Amino acid sequence: MKYVEYLNNLINVETAKPEHVVLFGQNINAGSCLAGLTRNLAVQPSGRVINSTNAENSLVGFGFGLMMGGVHGVFFMKQMDFLLLGTDHLVNTYNIIRSVRHQLKDGSFTIVAVVVDSGYEGPQSALNNFADFCSVARIPGFTITNKVDADFIFARHFLQPGFRIIGVSQRLERADIIDPGEQISTVGDGEIFQYSEGEGATLVSFNFSFPQVLKLRASLAARGVPTSHFNVNSPVAVDWTAIKESVSRTGKIVVVDDSKSGHVAADALMAEFAGIPLTKKIVVKRKLGEDWLHPVSDLFEINEERVIDELKP
Amino acid sequence: MAETNDKKIAEEILRLRLSQILINEEYKAGKFKIPIHLALGHEAIAVAVSRVLQDGDKLILSHRNMAYNLARSKRLKPILYEYLLEPTGLMGGRLGSMNLMNPARGIIYSSSILGNNFSVAAGIAMAEKIMGRGGATFVLGGDGSMEEGSFYEGLVLAKTLGLRLVFIIENNEWSLGTHISERRCPIDLQQMSGSIGIQYLKLEGNHTHRYIEVLGGAREEALRRDDPACVEVIVKTLGDRMTEDGRYINYHSGPAPTVDMTTVVLRENEDDPLFVVRQEVGPERFGELSEKIMQELQNEIR
Repeated sequence: MKYVEYLNNLINVETAKPEHVVLFGQNINAGSCLAGLTRNLAVQPSGRVINSTNAENSLVGFGFGLMMGGVHGVFFMKQMDFLLLGTDHLVNTYNIIRSVRHQLKDGSFTIVAVVVDSGYEGPQSALNNFADFCSVARIPGFTITNKVDADFIFARHFLQPGFRIIGVSQRLERADIIDPGEQISTVGDGEIFQYSEGEGATLVSFNFSFPQVLKLRASLAARGVPTSHFNVNSPVAVDWTAIKESVSRTGKIVVVDDSKSGHVAADALMAEFAGIPLTKKIVVKRKLGEDWLHPVSDLFEINEERVIDELKP
Repeated sequence: MAETNDKKIAEEILRLRLSQILINEEYKAGKFKIPIHLALGHEAIAVAVSRVLQDGDKLILSHRNMAYNLARSKRLKPILYEYLLEPTGLMGGRLGSMNLMNPARGIIYSSSILGNNFSVAAGIAMAEKIMGRGGATFVLGGDGSMEEGSFYEGLVLAKTLGLRLVFIIENNEWSLGTHISERRCPIDLQQMSGSIGIQYLKLEGNHTHRYIEVLGGAREEALRRDDPACVEVIVKTLGDRMTEDGRYINYHSGPAPTVDMTTVVLRENEDDPLFVVRQEVGPERFGELSEKIMQELQNEIR
């Protein structure tokens, strides 16, 4: 099953039964239905499915208002960069609401944003760093990279009281959903997932680099290097303990972040290891100066041979 | 009965004015760490909105929310102590002035960001509809915030979704230090509302009974037709002053140095709601009420 089909099924299962669910966004129930992400949406008679106006700023405020009124609001957003227009609400409105706890009631607000990381979109759709939006006001946020985190995050967070953003990858939409098998552990409420345990190195993937790190892990395993693989799904206010404990055993860390921003979530993890002597610290990020201001391929690739060489004793 | 009601409204307006005069005295004495926006001149519309609000209705305010909070809470002390960031303040000293709300009295959101509250109000009004609670929602803005794109977006959203939402635009002609004529072309709010199919109403003259009648009608229509309304209110934010070099400064925020304990009516025309009240009850009765209410307020905060 394709990634987008899998998420569409999860969304439809979660939204079909609860009362007072309002699903809204531009063309969510028309045309391609956001490339299939929002196809066949259905809610109970007490709810609504709204093909909304083109007013991203106001739609974010509208979602917070729904939450304050005890309703479950979900704003499906075709491109995460549209959310730039709603930044005022992400920061100022959310700050007020959570400063007065009783305002939260039982209502919820979830923004499901498609991160445009498929390439060839042109200069105005180059923003792919999910962490930027979570960082501005320490917003709970979760990336969806595979079947395991999708199952967990939708079951644990979607339509639950409070606010969060869920990031969906456009690049992965048409690919088969990755089934990484049984993950070893989940940290917190789905902030981090651990997918393998090995003493050769600790691998940590950020933003939507999970598939690339999964491939690196397989390459290392083929060369007799078993690794511990963590994926950081929630880029802010993360408890790094599990990763730090792993690194204390392996002595080697490889951090991969495919975000384009100047400040990326991986930097926060690496700051934890500042001044701590490790056998190897490898950070794989995009190089500033790379051409992303034109319609070009957006694919982020790891130079696996180089990483494997660097990890050799 | 009508006379009793008139007296009560006059007392409410006087209480709002005198409360603000007392707050201003604390402000001039440097008691507050937070920025506060007095609302001298906004008393009539605040009392009218508070009177029209029914149980279950929601009121969404802006940074200049003092008159509405005073009208809804009916007490000075919790608000004064909130401004002083004391735990005994209305919201435990955790919100201060520009975001002050009072959920128990229907004020569930106040925004210091111009235009931020229109869409939040639309969401709240939609929630009222979804939950079948049947209340009306009122959202306050000004001639500054209606310049934000979010005002237009909010109107379109409210009309499209058939929301029971009453937009109240307090037009005081000023956005901080710039008059409308200095910063933009005129905006005909009646035409703007009409182009979206939203009923437009205008209030001016600070006659509270008339305001109550019009706002009550707007509320009833919004509920009956599942349709928003837009009410423009002409207000003068009082407390203005001239600088030493003869430059006019309209009041925006901070203490009002030209306002003191000796004068209740700040402008001798209908720009000032207290001028209207004094005309309605007569100068002698006005003086008696002022003295009585000031004494009560001073006892309350002592």
